[in-house]
Order: sequence, then C-alpha cells, then structure tokens
Amino acid sequence: MYLEQLKTAEEEWQERHKEELAQAEALNAACEDGIPLKVLYTPADSKADFYADVGFPGDFPFTRGNDAAGYRKKLWTISHYAGFGSPRETNVLFRKMIDHGGVPPYMALDLPTQLGLDPDHPMARGEVGMAGTSVTSLRDWETIFEGIKLEDTFVGTVINAPAAVFLAMHVVLAEKQGADLKKIRGNLQNDILKEFTARGNFIFPVAPSLRLVTDTLEYCAQHLPSYWPLNVCGGHYPEAGANRVHEVAFAFADAFTYIDDAIRRGVAIDSFAKGIFFLMKTNHTDLLEEAAKFRAMRKIWATRLRDHYGAKDAETMKCRVLAHSGGSLLTRERPELNIARTTLACVAGVLGGIQLIGLRTMDEVFGIPTEKSELIAIGTQHVVAHETGLPDVVDPLGGSYYVEALTAEFERKVLEELERIERMGGMVKAIEAGYVRKAIAQDAYRTHLAWETGAKVKVGVNKYQIEENDPPRQPYAYKPEEEQRQVEALRQLRRERDNAAVDKALKRIVEVAKRPAATENNLMPPIIEAVRAYATIGEICGALRQVFGEYSEPTSF
Amino acid sequence: MGAQQRKIRVLMGKPGLCGHDRGVVLVVMALRDAGMEVIYSGRHNSPESLVEVAIQEDVDVLGVSILAGGHLGLCERIAALLRERNAQDIVFLAGGFIPPEDIPKLKAFGVREVFRDGAKLEEIVHYIEKVAGERAAA
Repeated sequence: MYLEQLKTAEEEWQERHKEELAQAEALNAACEDGIPLKVLYTPADSKADFYADVGFPGDFPFTRGNDAAGYRKKLWTISHYAGFGSPRETNVLFRKMIDHGGVPPYMALDLPTQLGLDPDHPMARGEVGMAGTSVTSLRDWETIFEGIKLEDTFVGTVINAPAAVFLAMHVVLAEKQGADLKKIRGNLQNDILKEFTARGNFIFPVAPSLRLVTDTLEYCAQHLPSYWPLNVCGGHYPEAGANRVHEVAFAFADAFTYIDDAIRRGVAIDSFAKGIFFLMKTNHTDLLEEAAKFRAMRKIWATRLRDHYGAKDAETMKCRVLAHSGGSLLTRERPELNIARTTLACVAGVLGGIQLIGLRTMDEVFGIPTEKSELIAIGTQHVVAHETGLPDVVDPLGGSYYVEALTAEFERKVLEELERIERMGGMVKAIEAGYVRKAIAQDAYRTHLAWETGAKVKVGVNKYQIEENDPPRQPYAYKPEEEQRQVEALRQLRRERDNAAVDKALKRIVEVAKRPAATENNLMPPIIEAVRAYATIGEICGALRQVFGEYSEPTSF
Repeated sequence: MGAQQRKIRVLMGKPGLCGHDRGVVLVVMALRDAGMEVIYSGRHNSPESLVEVAIQEDVDVLGVSILAGGHLGLCERIAALLRERNAQDIVFLAGGFIPPEDIPKLKAFGVREVFRDGAKLEEIVHYIEKVAGERAAA
C-alpha cells in the first residue's frame, strides 16, 4: 500500500522535473562494474528486508558489521607493510619495533625467495634482496628472530607458493625456543590461486599448489590453533585491472576452493575457517559502492558458511576484511592529490566497517616511500579515526535507500559470477581454462581506454593537468653486495651442514609428494624435517618441482 | 612492396621474476586490436628463452615489460644476446616502471625506445607501426 503510494508520488515528482531529470539521465551514470545508477533512490528501490538482509551488527548475516559495538569496541588496525634489507637488518628493525611495544610489520620477501629459488640460481641474478628480504634457509629465519621470542609476538609473512616452507621454519624455530606451539601466532598469505591469475608468483601447477595450501591448513588446525595460515586476497584482482564484482567473486571462489579441499580432507569447518582473512582493496572510486561491497561481502560469506558449509560457530561466519588502498589508482602527476585519494579510500573502508586499513603513500609511484610520506599516510588514518566522528556509530550508511539498493545489487552480481564459475567446474577449472585472466584483462582494457580517451576523469592526468617537474625519486636499486653476501652465506651453509641428512630429507619429500593428497601424506612433516636439516628453499621447492612440475600459464586474451 | 603484406609480428615478453603484467597485457590487446600478430610470453622468462622465441617466431619487434627494478641487467643481457645471435635488426623495446635517468643507459645497451608506465597505448601502437614499416622497407 505504502509502496504503491510512493510509486505514484515518485512518478509525479518525475513529471514535475522531467526536463532536468531527462538531462541527468542522459549522462548514463554507472559504477565501473556496470551497475547502473539512478539519479535518486527511494524506499521503493531498497527492497531489503530489515531482519533478513540488514539486521543488527554482531548478528547474522553481519551485513552491518562483525561486532555489535563496531569501532567503539575496537578501532580498525592501522597497517604498514615494509620491505627491508638483509636478514640481519630485518632483525634490528623487528627488535626496535617490539621494544616500542609494536609488532613486526608484515614481511616482504624478494622475488627469488617467493619463487622458491636460491640466490645462486641463474634466474635470481639481479633480484636478490630487491623486493624484500632474501630468506634461503632456517639459518636466515634464525637470524631474523634472534633475541625475539616467537611465543610473544605475531609474525606476518607475505609468502605464497613456498608458504609451507615458511610455516615449517617457524615451527622448527619455535620448537628450538621451547615455545608452546598452541600459543604461536602469525599469518601466511598462502593464497596461491590469485598468484596464477593476478599476482604472478606461482611455481607448481594448480592442483599440487592447492594440496600444499590444504596441507598447511590441516597442519595448523592440528598443531597451531592460534596461527592464521591463510589470507584470501581479493585486492590483487583490481590491481591487475579487475572490476569490483570480479574482485569479490574471485576472492570468494578462491576461498570456497580452499574450504572444499580442506573439508574433503576431513578438516571440520569450525576448526579452521575462522583463521581465514580477506585482503581486499579499499578505493576512492565509486566510493559508496566500495562501502556497499564490504557490507555485501559479510552477508554473502556468513550465508554461505552457515547454510552451505554448516558452520555452527558465529566466529566462523564472520567475514574479516583487511584492506589497502590501491597503488594503481595513484598518479605521478600532481602526486599530492594522492593524499586526497587515499583519505577517501580510508573513509570508504571505515563506512564499510572493515578490520584493518593500510594506505599507500603519495610518493609510492616514484619508488621507496620517504619517511615523511609514510607518516602522512598513517596520520591520514588518525585524522579519519579521531577527527571525523565516523567511528562513533555502527554502519552509518545502513538504511540509506541508495546504499541498501547498491548492497543488494552488488550481492546479486557477485552471486551470479560465483554461479558462472561453479558452472565451469569451479575456480581451478576457471583458472586453467584462462577464464579468470581473460575477465581481468578485459576489465583492465576497458578501464584503461576510458582513461586514455578521457571518458573517465583522472585528475592531473587526463584533465586538470598542470606543468610541474617530477619530484626526485628514490627507486629500488640493485644491490650487488647483498646478492653476493647471500650467495656466499649459502655456500658456507652447504659446507657446514650435514649434507647426507639434507639429501635424505629431500628424498623423503619426493616420496611423500608422489603419493596422493591425504592426511597421512601431508607434506608438512617431511618439509619440517628438511628445514630442520637446513635444506634451502631452492632445494625443498626443487624436490617438489621434480614431482609436481611447473605451471605454464594460458597466454591468450 | 611485398614485404608490407605481412602483418607486423611482435613478441611481448616478461623477463625475470617480476609478476606484474597488467601493463604488458594491455599492450598485447592494443597491438592485436591494431591488427598485429602478437605473441605473449607469459611470466618468468629468461633473456635466453625470450631471444630464442623472438628468432624462432621471426618477429619484427621484441617488447619487454619490467616493473620490479631489474630492467638494467635484464635489458643489457637481452641486447647482448640479440647481437650474439645476429638478430639486432629485431626492434627491441622496453616498458614498465623505469626511472627516466635509466633511459639513456637502456638505449646505450641497444633498446630502441622506452615506454614508461603512463605511456599511451595509442603512442606505442603508432611507434611500432612506424618502426616495423621502416624495417620492412629496409
């Protein structure tokens, strides 16, 4: 009755303002992922049922947030991510941060380490110590954590293809320190599926890669209950060019793939799924859709975990989101405007009620951020947290006709894309068939052409340009001395360790890897033994390469 | 000019370990839309394998994209390999995250042109059409 009256009222309003509205509609506004935007939203557009779709924060379906009191309970975490030099320099930095009451930042590793290559491998030349720390064996891990009790700190590592080796190093070092494994906290990125389609640091083919992830999940469920062995990454998709619907749908499809595999292994959903976090982007473009995205994510996740996977624990149903602003949206032109962009990106994340936010620095487009710009990025978050009043009320957008309509439409589009992937036979098939890469490439191409033709404005780049000189840059520089040092350390290691024990441990890895994936063939125990014998990352991944082979990616778009 | 009948053939490659390929994929798509035959190497290639493919596939242009900072070493090796294999007539182009002060160094190695991130696709397409035309006429 009310909605019918409203419909008539809206039609009358349209009639009264038809010229103005016709002009506005001719602009044909839409979000980047194609969701069309009306000029105005009314209760007739927001078909959400308050109890079923929106509800209360802290309760199913968690659309309004994971916690009843939102940011009044706990402010979002202000994150930093850093690349540093050698294991020794990393140790100095970590100890300094711990002394100041902090936790070590997430650890960035160089590309050879991320690809399971030792520093003396021909492909590693020129890349050792470049994009992060070079870690070759347990010896480097021991150096990094010298004087640090693993039981008392949280160690986050951005590692994917060789994640099992890093988990093994952490376990062995914790044992050597006499720690209680049940208290060991830390986090691996470990999301291999997005490496194939977006980030690019893959080693083995898809199926054995998935097996390694499940081996780590299972091992942690059994032995390290406080450790978070997986961050599912959606954020790499938009950085590779994907639109927002693809960002969420691909991240969820990846997550469901890991869960399905773990459940097949017999791991109970409530024993591991609460350790899954989502690492997404929070961007300023289509800002309110960004907030709606986070609201929709929580609802989709909770519904799927409860109704499809039979989760009983409410903690398992909560979709925990960590998000960084996207570096690919920052510009070298008028770089100070990047502060405005990231401020708005922060606001989008806060309106979306997420758990952690990290902002790119204004000068990251030029190379290593300066300390000043790092402090600006952190200070920007402090301004949003303490000066705007945004954290005072939970889910401030809830009930907005527009945002509720957008949340519902976003959810519908994500579910539609998930169904498409399921019809293809799941994410592994979609990756191997090249579907995901193609979808991302096409999104990226569309966006890029819109910028290049000026159909979409990028301030300072295709509109409102001003003449200015590039500021001085501090690019990543090749460090031949660091490479030489790591190669020398590797030679020394090979001279000093018990090489017969290493060979035996590597043979054992090959033996277990040849058997089918199963609880009794979990690769973690043999990898742990190899790490204990100081086998290198290149040797351990080499043993696995022998059995699994390497992934060769589809290259047509 | 019979040589003009042939479509321009391009190998777009990712040498080294850097996994960022949004840019190179955009270039692949734009060159294809411009009617060229484009081969994309995929990621993690050695300079040796890229030069081998370029020669085997008889390309006019070899374009490489590098964003993780290894451009100087990688491009120097690729240029040297092209000379060793007597294939320096293949137009060698580089793109990606490359500081302007490195451009003269890359050109001294034998890179014909450098397209930094932010270069327009249109500009790259026109450049390749021009140099491939000159190469065919030579």
